[in-house]
Amino acid sequence: MSEALTLRGRQLVSGRAVGEAVFLDAISFYGDVDPTTGRLRDGREVKDKVIVALRPRGSTVGSYIMYALRVNGAAPAGIVMSRVDPIIVAGAVLAEVPLVAFIDENQLRGVRDGDLVELLGDGTIIVRKSARGS
Amino acid sequence: MHLSKEEERILAGEEGWARARALEVVVKVGEALGAERLQPIAHAHVSGVSYYNIGEPGRRFLEDLAASGAKVSVPTTANPIGFDLDSPQGLDVLDISPEYVRGQMAILNALKSMGIQTTLSCTPYYMPDVKRLRPGNSVAWGESNAVVYANSILGLRTNREGGPLALMAAIAGRTYYYGLHVPENRVPRVAYRPGQGMKLDEARIGVMGELISSMHRAEGPPMLEARLSEAQAKELGAAMGAAGDIAMVFLPGITPERPPKKVREVIEVEASDVERRLEELAPPAHVDIVYLGCPHASAEEVEELARLLRRGSPRPGGPRLIITMSREEEERLSAEALEVIRTFKGLVVRDTCLVVAPLRRQALSVATNSYKAYFYLSRRGLKVGLEPAERLAERLVSGV
Repeated sequence: MSEALTLRGRQLVSGRAVGEAVFLDAISFYGDVDPTTGRLRDGREVKDKVIVALRPRGSTVGSYIMYALRVNGAAPAGIVMSRVDPIIVAGAVLAEVPLVAFIDENQLRGVRDGDLVELLGDGTIIVRKSARGS
Repeated sequence: MHLSKEEERILAGEEGWARARALEVVVKVGEALGAERLQPIAHAHVSGVSYYNIGEPGRRFLEDLAASGAKVSVPTTANPIGFDLDSPQGLDVLDISPEYVRGQMAILNALKSMGIQTTLSCTPYYMPDVKRLRPGNSVAWGESNAVVYANSILGLRTNREGGPLALMAAIAGRTYYYGLHVPENRVPRVAYRPGQGMKLDEARIGVMGELISSMHRAEGPPMLEARLSEAQAKELGAAMGAAGDIAMVFLPGITPERPPKKVREVIEVEASDVERRLEELAPPAHVDIVYLGCPHASAEEVEELARLLRRGSPRPGGPRLIITMSREEEERLSAEALEVIRTFKGLVVRDTCLVVAPLRRQALSVATNSYKAYFYLSRRGLKVGLEPAERLAERLVSGV
């Protein structure tokens, strides 16, 4: 049995989603993510995963990268963040990626790569810790 | 967020998919920021249209949006692209491949089919449509220097929207009521004052913009207690927009709004701090390029440079003069000024600028009077120095 964690934030872009977590402190879709493959600069993939990040940074081109990920079939299943900026929100709407934000930063820090993250669609997030304990 | 009946209708798709989606973006961003309603806009300015900046993802997005039938619902202008439309290869410091031209033209066509005026300039504030707007009008502008100019000099109200959001607001005809659209957020509480003996030229004012944007943490825009010319106010705003995220500077005598009776604090910007920073930013003795026109030069700025150049003749083997400006401002140049620029083999380039264009090589040294050009070009690996136009002219003439 895996341990489950319930987090609450605000659902900014609607939709339910489930996927493995990819955790980043700060994300700029422009520069950090390859728009064709969905691969991060460090080699991890965001395709069909749930991006969990504390805060945004970076250029307005980020919105277009998020849209390109959708068009190229490499979009994340969902995004969960503590803080957001207009770039991320606009990109998530355009790419139709469910987005939950305003979750306490310390709670989000508990999420590890490989944890199973589920967005219930009402701002509630269920995190099931990976058995691998990565 | 409170929405009007009409806004509900648009969101439900009654005016088409594209308009619904654009309004949805504006509403969601507004909700994320805590805005309670939307604000109709009178004009929009879209940045992020250079293929160099937005690449294939941007081209794809703009083409898909145009193909979906999206149209702007307010007069909308656009920022510079990667080359001069009349001669894409005309500026040999730029690296313009046929593929680049294709990608850039696809973006341009998408903008046109959405009804955007392809003014291709970062100085929409010189355009006739914009001059007809009134202080207090809300707009959605996505170019940082233009945002500061709009708020501070024209009394228009806009946040720093960024390219995609300004475009969405243009299509939706609305932005979220937040930030500088709200009158009380436009009131300065902290003022800055040039210290004793400070010389005010555009280079020093740019440096002052950098210093103020690194110091300013208070609520509301900073106020600067100095008598500035239009060109100086423009450089100040461009510097503040580049070095930080300031979107407005209150300039008594220029900003149309009533200045506050008093501010909480007045901070002196030391002349010695400005001089020290200017020394750090000084160009080397020999440069490849003298660059004027970041933001795009006004006709007056170019006339002033021509007056300075007329004092001498071209220095053999001197640096090349490159001027970037909008087509509208170029048309206002006098025959004398054009003649002087020709004599000095200066190049007047429209539709683009060195900041947003693909450069052939980074090993270029540039002298400019624009802090903003210094800021962005030095981050692209060029060797860039800052000095006032008078000094730039001295580099170009011999025997002075």
